[in-house]
Amino acid sequence: MIEKIKASTSEKIIFIFILILGLFSLTSFLLLKDRCLFVKNYDPEKIKFKDPSNIAILNVGCGNVIIELYPEISPNGVARFKTLIKSKSYDDVAFHRVIKNKLVQAGDLEFGKKGNIDYGKIGTGKSGLGTIKSEIDKEFDYSKGSVGLARTQKYNTEDSQFFIILQDEPLYEGEFTPIGKVIYGIKVLEKIKYLDKSEYVLRPDFINSLRLFN
Amino acid sequence: MKLFKLILLCLFLFSNAYANTIYDLIKIPHLEIYNIKTDNKLRYLYAKQPFTIGLDNNINCFNSRKKDLEKKYVIIEKNLRRYSKDFLKKINLKYIVLCEDLSISGIGTAGIPDNIMKTLIVDIKFNEKYFERVLHHEVFHIINDTYKEIFDKEIWSSFNPSGFNYAKCSTCTKKIGLDTYLKTNGFITEYSRSTASEDMAEVFSHLMYGNIPDEIDPILKKKIEFIKKGISKIDKNFVL
Repeated sequence: MIEKIKASTSEKIIFIFILILGLFSLTSFLLLKDRCLFVKNYDPEKIKFKDPSNIAILNVGCGNVIIELYPEISPNGVARFKTLIKSKSYDDVAFHRVIKNKLVQAGDLEFGKKGNIDYGKIGTGKSGLGTIKSEIDKEFDYSKGSVGLARTQKYNTEDSQFFIILQDEPLYEGEFTPIGKVIYGIKVLEKIKYLDKSEYVLRPDFINSLRLFN
Repeated sequence: MKLFKLILLCLFLFSNAYANTIYDLIKIPHLEIYNIKTDNKLRYLYAKQPFTIGLDNNINCFNSRKKDLEKKYVIIEKNLRRYSKDFLKKINLKYIVLCEDLSISGIGTAGIPDNIMKTLIVDIKFNEKYFERVLHHEVFHIINDTYKEIFDKEIWSSFNPSGFNYAKCSTCTKKIGLDTYLKTNGFITEYSRSTASEDMAEVFSHLMYGNIPDEIDPILKKKIEFIKKGISKIDKNFVL
């Protein structure tokens, strides 16, 4: 005959605690796995823009980043950006340089394309359209979300690479050509993959598409 | 002890790569913004900690006390505000780094100009007597480095008395006196005799500081005209 043993109160408490812990761990695992969970995905079709011809939609893993372009500040820089967008050159290009809470950089069309990444040369690639002159004379507030064209240590070497800053960078004024500002979806960029020990990302995230709104 | 090491290891493992914007721009570590809201867009930075830069780490400078910085900043800004935004852009000067006990290869110096990085490092503790004039002296080195063809050393040297030769470098001589000669003989200070570029910088700084001697010899007169002409080629609106 099997004797039925009743669980003591403390045993019941431990059992409930383990059950809750198990449930908590499972939900945390599922929630944390989805890095885009709390990121709002903006639909540009539902937004009214003042100047739709100067709106660019950058689509990445966690959703859309809506950028307003400023041709009056940097006509040549914006023209180059638009040219590359129209030719869909930025699609499948890596965010090769990402610094947590500081900036994301992409646009190496030569060494940063999905399936054709060259980690030894990424960041040095060209678009084939040649370099353009820096446009840094006009005043510009490099606040969080500003988009600028990357260059080498020398001026007038801007080409296809661009960066978006995730914090205010007042020292960038007069250094880098500003082309626009993120007006919706900056949080999407905060989810771009970065490394703790290096600015250059191995197995990086990619741009899904970059299109002009109009 | 083990726990301490573990905590240190954890801190190391979980700390993010700290990207310093200032370092990215001018390649000098341990700097912070002192003031960037200036009319002529000069950006004043200060050393938060000592830093070492240059080939073989031969340039050293140390951080200053807040009070010293505040006192010297007023003087430096007052002098450098005389250079307009447009002029500074033309000569490639944008960042002023404030620190003290600046030395290059162990030799103390008032400033280190670098027109490529658009930077002038200033030793805020340099000789009080000549501090303001020396600021302009260092600015001239930026001008000279950016416009070598205008400030041709051979043309300049041809003004000197026959038989005179400069030293091979500014630190290759003991002629380092900065007192303005009462009686000039082609040179405005003893340091002017060191190299052509230092000679030009001494003349320029005296012009900027406004302490050209009342009586000047014909050689120095030619040198002054040469500097004035050169500066007007860069910016005809510059008031010297």
